[in-house]
Amino acid sequence: LFQKRADIYSVEIHGSKDLEKVDKGDEKENYKDLKGNRKKSKKQDDLRKELDLDDHKLSNEELEEKYSTSITKGLTSAKAAEILARDGPNALTPPKSTPEIIKFLKQMVGGFSLLLWAGALLCWIAFGIQFAQGVPSARDNLYLGIVLALVVILTGIFAYYQEAKSTNIMASFSKMIPQQALVLRNAEKKEISAEELVVGDIVEVKGGDRIPADIRIIFSQGCKVDNSSLTGESEPQSRSCEFTHDNPLETKNVAFYSTTCLEGTATGIVINTGDNTIIGRIASLASGVGNEKTPIALEIEHFVHIVAGVAISIVVLFFVIAVSMHYAVLDSIIFLIGIIVANVPEGLLATVTVSLSLTAKRMSKKNCLVKNLEAVETLGSTSIICSDKTGTLTQNRMTVAHLWFDNQIFSADTSEDQECQTFDQSSGTWSALSKIVTLCNRAEFRPGQEDTPIMKRIVVGDASETALLKFSEVILNDVMGVRTRNKKVTEIPFNSTNKFQLSIHETDDPNDKRFLLVMKGAPERILERCSTIMINGKEEPLDKERAEAFQTAYMEMGGLGERVLGFCHLYLPEDEFPDTYPFDTDSMNFPTSNLCFVGLLSMIDPPRSTVPDAVSKCRSAGIKVIMVTGDHPITAKAIAKSVGIISATSETVEDIAKRLNIPVEQVNKRDAKAAVVNGMELKDMTLEQLDDILANHSEIVFARTSPQQKLIIVEGCQRQDAVVAVTGDGVNDSPALKKADIGIAMGIAGSDAAKNAADMILLDDNFASIVTGVEEGRLIFDNLKKTIAYTLTKNIAELCPFLIYIIASIPLPIGTITILFIDLGTDIIPSVALAYEKAERDIMNRKPRHKKKDRLVNEQLAVYSYLQIGLLQSLGAFLAYFTVYAEQGFLPYTLLNIRTRWEDHSNNDLEDSYGQEWTMYQRTYLQWNGYTAFFVSITIQQVADLIIRKTRRNSIFQQGLFRNKVIWVGIFSQIAIALILCYGLGSVAALNFTPLRFQYWFVAMPYAILIWVYDEFRKLFIRQYPGSWWDKNMYY
Amino acid sequence: PPSQSSQSLTRQGGTRKGLKEEGGLGDAHAGHHEEEMAKKTWDDMLQEVKLFLWNPETRKCMGRSAQSWGLILLFYLLLYIFLAGMFAFCMYGLMLTLNPYTPTYRDRVAPPGVVIRPYVDHGFHIAFNLAEPSSWEPYVTSMEHFLTAYDDHVQEEKNVQCTPGQYFFQDDKEGDKRQACQFKRSLLQNCSGTEDPTFGYAMGQPCILLKMNRIIGYRSGYGTPVKVDCKVQKGDESDIQSLAYYPESATFDLMYYPYYGKHTHINYTSPLVAVQFTEVRMNHTIPIQCSLNGEGIINDYSNDRFLGRIIFTLYIGM
Repeated sequence: LFQKRADIYSVEIHGSKDLEKVDKGDEKENYKDLKGNRKKSKKQDDLRKELDLDDHKLSNEELEEKYSTSITKGLTSAKAAEILARDGPNALTPPKSTPEIIKFLKQMVGGFSLLLWAGALLCWIAFGIQFAQGVPSARDNLYLGIVLALVVILTGIFAYYQEAKSTNIMASFSKMIPQQALVLRNAEKKEISAEELVVGDIVEVKGGDRIPADIRIIFSQGCKVDNSSLTGESEPQSRSCEFTHDNPLETKNVAFYSTTCLEGTATGIVINTGDNTIIGRIASLASGVGNEKTPIALEIEHFVHIVAGVAISIVVLFFVIAVSMHYAVLDSIIFLIGIIVANVPEGLLATVTVSLSLTAKRMSKKNCLVKNLEAVETLGSTSIICSDKTGTLTQNRMTVAHLWFDNQIFSADTSEDQECQTFDQSSGTWSALSKIVTLCNRAEFRPGQEDTPIMKRIVVGDASETALLKFSEVILNDVMGVRTRNKKVTEIPFNSTNKFQLSIHETDDPNDKRFLLVMKGAPERILERCSTIMINGKEEPLDKERAEAFQTAYMEMGGLGERVLGFCHLYLPEDEFPDTYPFDTDSMNFPTSNLCFVGLLSMIDPPRSTVPDAVSKCRSAGIKVIMVTGDHPITAKAIAKSVGIISATSETVEDIAKRLNIPVEQVNKRDAKAAVVNGMELKDMTLEQLDDILANHSEIVFARTSPQQKLIIVEGCQRQDAVVAVTGDGVNDSPALKKADIGIAMGIAGSDAAKNAADMILLDDNFASIVTGVEEGRLIFDNLKKTIAYTLTKNIAELCPFLIYIIASIPLPIGTITILFIDLGTDIIPSVALAYEKAERDIMNRKPRHKKKDRLVNEQLAVYSYLQIGLLQSLGAFLAYFTVYAEQGFLPYTLLNIRTRWEDHSNNDLEDSYGQEWTMYQRTYLQWNGYTAFFVSITIQQVADLIIRKTRRNSIFQQGLFRNKVIWVGIFSQIAIALILCYGLGSVAALNFTPLRFQYWFVAMPYAILIWVYDEFRKLFIRQYPGSWWDKNMYY
Repeated sequence: PPSQSSQSLTRQGGTRKGLKEEGGLGDAHAGHHEEEMAKKTWDDMLQEVKLFLWNPETRKCMGRSAQSWGLILLFYLLLYIFLAGMFAFCMYGLMLTLNPYTPTYRDRVAPPGVVIRPYVDHGFHIAFNLAEPSSWEPYVTSMEHFLTAYDDHVQEEKNVQCTPGQYFFQDDKEGDKRQACQFKRSLLQNCSGTEDPTFGYAMGQPCILLKMNRIIGYRSGYGTPVKVDCKVQKGDESDIQSLAYYPESATFDLMYYPYYGKHTHINYTSPLVAVQFTEVRMNHTIPIQCSLNGEGIINDYSNDRFLGRIIFTLYIGM
């Protein structure tokens, strides 16, 4: 039994079966298996062992025996209970998730948290020592420690909340469980909860039900199931009790858990329940595919490392300096706290989250619903998009694309909102053809849709007939009228043996008593039945030449990947077929040969009109678009060509072979830009071959691929170091969606599982929406750079005071609490406002960023922010500091080395530069005044910093100073918060703010202006001398 | 047929394995990478750091060649010279706006604070034992040292005699030298240290000097001299049985005000009030608050315990 293991991953859905070929593949793959992959997780091994889906091959009796059940009586309640106890309930077990508390704690120690914890701890240590020594200000450190801890906890809660919002993949799998099942137990039918089903139960399902478990059908009546969530196939599949295929997924006598029964009824034996079902396995696989860190998460980690590295080195350096300057260890510890707090941009991570969620909101307005916030940026760094065809690139509805009559091919309009067709409709052949198209059609509009545009009306009928109905409605505007005037007498519906559809109508001409026989079907079958052909409205004999013309046209239309239908008619002679003639479709008592051939119509699921543009945008954005479809290669290629995935000038190996008239093997594969890979070929490929294809062809189409093969393709792309976006809708797409750097599920066609596995949901299923998403993603990356640059700048202005304080022993220019008010107060809204900044240049004209080279925070950004603008800011702030002290009597030179006397609580007659004497509290108040001045100066200069960060290359005047209104909201909020802190809360001693003389707000202004002017020059030189030394060192 | 189906299924299993192998390979790759990371010993790390610090192949130090370093350092040198120049210029500008004799604002230093002498060990606890001279000697030294500037001959030599009871305005041109009024230590009588060089400490009748902080232009008391009042801060009032103020008025005379700043009012000596605790409870720590009373004086501001008042303890052991 162990050898007979099937696996969902091996399932070939579209491929044909060729046992010989399979055997070859078998050897090779067994060999592969021997060689590699020793390390298999136990879980996967278990999975494989339990998989013995041969039930579809067993007869009913064997099944009864195997599951010790009875088809007529079902299980006994006792037996069922016993099995239930053994197998567990028929439900998917959720994956073992990390406990919430662990997740929460992780947030508490991630990012900058550890540094801040260290700061808080140092505070408490300092408090402990000072308290023991009876220092009056000891409590300040206690409070500061509490504030730091609060900052960590609050940002941790914020991050945790954000993470918790992204939903768990298992949630929807469990939602799919059918509620009730009709089961036969103790020879009685009864409704039980589906969770109580056990292997061996006999269940009945009817149209509309969800299949409650994997069941082997033992009786069926017109049962059809929708397997689309499992296999991606949208056509309803009939289910009967016959064993039709070796492959359990293909055979007709097995229906799967969570798929829907569309019509009919069926009875079956439950063969798998809960996690053992196919869906259960996919669920465990999807959760098994590791969630890799998103590119932005890596970038933020990198950035945190940089900042933490800088912080720790400065901390160590200054601890050494402080100790060697004979500071007391306690003092040194207190310095460290300040240095840590100044160095860590406390509000930044929250700002990044908010910026990302703002972009996510903007994207959802553009029909990209982002589930995982970090995916917002991932989309921007995407370098390969593996896209579905149906529904994503195409409109997901058949539409008439070409017509052939009068020896001529006409193209029809295939856009989404066609209202008229513009090809030449004057020919008599066309009127005959339009009549056949209209009459030989069983599809009907659902009533009550007169006001709806034709293309949007709901039709009852299959896809081709719907296409023809809409096509004729667009042209004739009164299909139903035509049909009532030409009353249908009898009809033979389409079936696969005949391959035609026929109907006989009365004519709408009251003088014409003949019957009209109209027929459509596979073109070659229709042609066989014709002896004449209509040319320009006249019947002419169908000679060899005309037959050849037909062949050419048929081939041409077929070569476009379109589904071609032939149309013919015959006016039945009045004398042979009078009014009362009893037509009988069984005996076919009417002619079905020697008909008159009228024309061909071809249909295709046409590309969405926005897609070609979107694909070309992707191309100019350096993103490779790979089509992965289950369709036939010819259709796939045709659509790929029409949307530009394969550009007009590119050729595949096969095309070159055809052009040069040489065998495919002789073609130099490097000559072919494009490749169309069949799913069958893919299956036999080694990893190297796949890599070779992915690396050496820029335009690739994978046709006839099973949704499972998507996973291989995605992994192949990821081996190329690409950031891969994948679209998908079926349940079995979910592993690929999870594996992809960004999984994109379809909002309309997608199954819940796919939506859950995805990072993003396309609400309109439109490929073009991905491209707008990419644009937003790139924009947010650029804007996050700006945000970080903005935030890092003031860190230097916060750090320098401590360094100067230690080295020059001046009164402390800015307090730790004040720093927190900048980082978590005034700076928050402006840095979020940068997320609203418009792109500087066409961001869709550059290559996607390289994962490892184009970092979010690079050396230039850090150096420019820290060593240039940051330093300028410090100077401006120090100017304000010195001004405040000097105007109160402490001239700058007096301040040098004053620290010990300044901080001496018993020294209450400290002399200033003018001979006045100050008490301790008077000095402290002055010190707070200095804090406030320093704070205000940083704020004022941050306004300039905010303005310069709007662009990285363009002049502010090119970008427009007022285009981003949110920036101004940011500036006003910044100033308003500063005003409130200064004048409103100036009397709250604990906050260390004091009211500040109005003129001090302007002291740092020259530096603010200098920052702006300097940055304008920087940008000017960057623009003027691209590639120069300046550009390399100054552009971040 | 069973053989066929088994083959087919094996194939499927095989395909899956193949597939899994591919996935597995990816995993293995990642795993390998991780192992690599884990295996990276300190040696390797050190090697990497070394290579980063100096790469002999590319002759680059920390990713930059010598020329590159030269350029960037030159750039920063120039930039910082410019910034330093600009900052110096701004500071110069700031200094230009300042009046060298009077600070622009005096709102934070007024009203005045009070300090006491002796001032020993940064504390306000005067505690000594009569029997041990070493326990009170530091206080005496501190007092003596402080009062040197008040020696009668120094005062007579440098300062002028002023009219008591009125402010000594000297509305000269700004920057002109101002004269200071004499405050001779003999005014402190018993606490002057002339008769009793131990300022009463040896006898258990210690003297404390009170000094009001100097504030430029401050007219102390606004016409009425500020008066000093000392009493037990908390506890039994009778702990201090008697005390004496010198000068007897216990005031800071108006003639010592206003102060014109140390650049012009060169020999200014702050007026003092001495308090002698002539009879206090022995062997007991007495908290004492001396406060100023007068117009414009604040002596009950909770945040600043030295504003218009001073609190200290006195302990005299026998």
